[in-house]
Amino acid sequence: MLMTLPAGLALGSSYALLAVGFTLVFGVLRRVNLAYGATVMLGIYGALWVQERTGGGPVLMLLIVLIVTVVIGIYVEKLCFAPHSRRAAVTSMAASFAVWMQLEEVATLLLPGHALPFPSPFGQASGLDVAGFRLAHLLALGCALSVCAGFWALLYRTGFGLAVRALIESRQAAACAGIDVPRISALIFVLASALGAVAGWIIVGIDGQVTPMFAMWATLKGIIAAILGGLGSLPGAVAGGLLLGVVETVAQRSFGPQVRDLCSYLLLFAVLALCPSGLSALWSAAGASRAAEET
Amino acid sequence: MDDYWLGILANMGLLSFLALSSYVLLIGGAMSFGQQAFFGIGAYAAGMATVLGAVPLGVALALAAVVGGLAAGALGAATLRLRGFHFSVASLAAAEAVRISLELFSLRVVSSEGRMTGPNGIEGFRGIRYLYERGYGPVDFVLLIYGVLGLVLLALWLSERRRFGLTLRMAGEDPVLARTLGVDVRKARIAAAAAAGAIAALGGGLFAHYNTYVEPSNFGMMLGVHGLAYALIGGLGAPVGPLLGVGIDILLVEASRIFHGYRMVAFGGIVAVFLIFRPRGILDERLVNRLRAWAGRAGRHTPDQPAGEAKGAS
Repeated sequence: MLMTLPAGLALGSSYALLAVGFTLVFGVLRRVNLAYGATVMLGIYGALWVQERTGGGPVLMLLIVLIVTVVIGIYVEKLCFAPHSRRAAVTSMAASFAVWMQLEEVATLLLPGHALPFPSPFGQASGLDVAGFRLAHLLALGCALSVCAGFWALLYRTGFGLAVRALIESRQAAACAGIDVPRISALIFVLASALGAVAGWIIVGIDGQVTPMFAMWATLKGIIAAILGGLGSLPGAVAGGLLLGVVETVAQRSFGPQVRDLCSYLLLFAVLALCPSGLSALWSAAGASRAAEET
Repeated sequence: MDDYWLGILANMGLLSFLALSSYVLLIGGAMSFGQQAFFGIGAYAAGMATVLGAVPLGVALALAAVVGGLAAGALGAATLRLRGFHFSVASLAAAEAVRISLELFSLRVVSSEGRMTGPNGIEGFRGIRYLYERGYGPVDFVLLIYGVLGLVLLALWLSERRRFGLTLRMAGEDPVLARTLGVDVRKARIAAAAAAGAIAALGGGLFAHYNTYVEPSNFGMMLGVHGLAYALIGGLGAPVGPLLGVGIDILLVEASRIFHGYRMVAFGGIVAVFLIFRPRGILDERLVNRLRAWAGRAGRHTPDQPAGEAKGAS
């Protein structure tokens, strides 16, 4: 049991990175972007497509992944989120699902094949072990935590963060106070896309490959982790990701992959049915119950 | 008619059950990503009834509908508190749990011919040959699918004209207002979930007997999402709406082969753009009411024709 803890936390840090993107968009816009995983996947495929033609190291790859993901993110925002009114949150979710299918097919048309090799950003060092952790996993965990710290600083230490928090509180009041609500919403979307690009780059770098299943995997794991932690809560996203990673690793070691997936879905269902605000209910009863009510 | 078109027709009929299942939940304000689970439960239940229980197909389909309805009703009761996105994810989680449970489910028995038969975990469930053993051909099968589909449509049309349909639409439109007006929103939502589960299970039972072979991967997330998209494109104004959605996808996008290789690029784009301009589908409530008013005016000259009939014909 204790032996599986490092592996579980390592897997969980990937989930945490993905969950932060979902929770950020939901926390500010009260919307869920189901096309998130597919957006990141298209960014990764785009970078591989460019690499096939020109070559390039991990840093250049990151840059391309970032650019493509942000551009696609804006496309998703304009097509699925901007045109729908506040009441039609579920309609925009359905639209984002349709766009997921579209982006996934574009990516596989761009580069067909089951598994495409992806260069590791950490090079040789990623194989080293430090106290049971692979170094690459420690880096992923560090990234997840520092991304959260960065977002905390952005939200509570900058003018932009103040505007975002005003918008979370009340969109109408924020608009009355002269905040450009559509612009802030779009910026949050771009920010989440950029975060997804970095997360995807780290995850496929650690795995050393990317498959056409990436969109589905990233979206489902990100959403499960975000909900376990309490959708809309940043620390919840990290805690939910780590919890999911540990649960999956323990279930897989004990019973195999089918039971692992069964466990994560049953856990998700139980959390939704019994305590929709997830882990965040442990530290902020008020904020979390509001999140569950508004959807 | 050749086999290609018969196959398309059969597929359209089977998918219509799933689309109608999503429709019943959608008019009650719930967007389910998990109706494929009841399609799967129905397929296994009906298949096991004819193969292991040796009962007639009609009994097997009724049994599938009951099992699907009970499972969906129980799930509806468990997710009663959830709205919007949280409900969608809960339904998806439950459906995936059902799919994996089917992968783990085996019940092997020796058939009358001495072969092993029954559900066999991830390998699937082979030899659901009830119709083929009795010499029914593809044409009979298509007729059977559309016969059952016609009954479901009739039942939906009748219940929408009665209190149940109105109650459900009120609960979907504004649950708080509906509750203040004395509508039992909880009861309406559980009843809608059970009805939707029974409809999907009926489709699943027919699917199992049409295909003779089912496996858990048939009932993945993509199946349910297609059903949902059909209902959203076709329209939430009347039960024929979802059928329109099935027709648009299968006839325009899949069968026409214009978009060959780009099917999801086309279909995904169509759905996303559609949801902007017609968020409640082609045949939405407004259009249905307009048609009904128009039919009412035309009906004054022939008073023996009820106004609602024009809706079914449109």
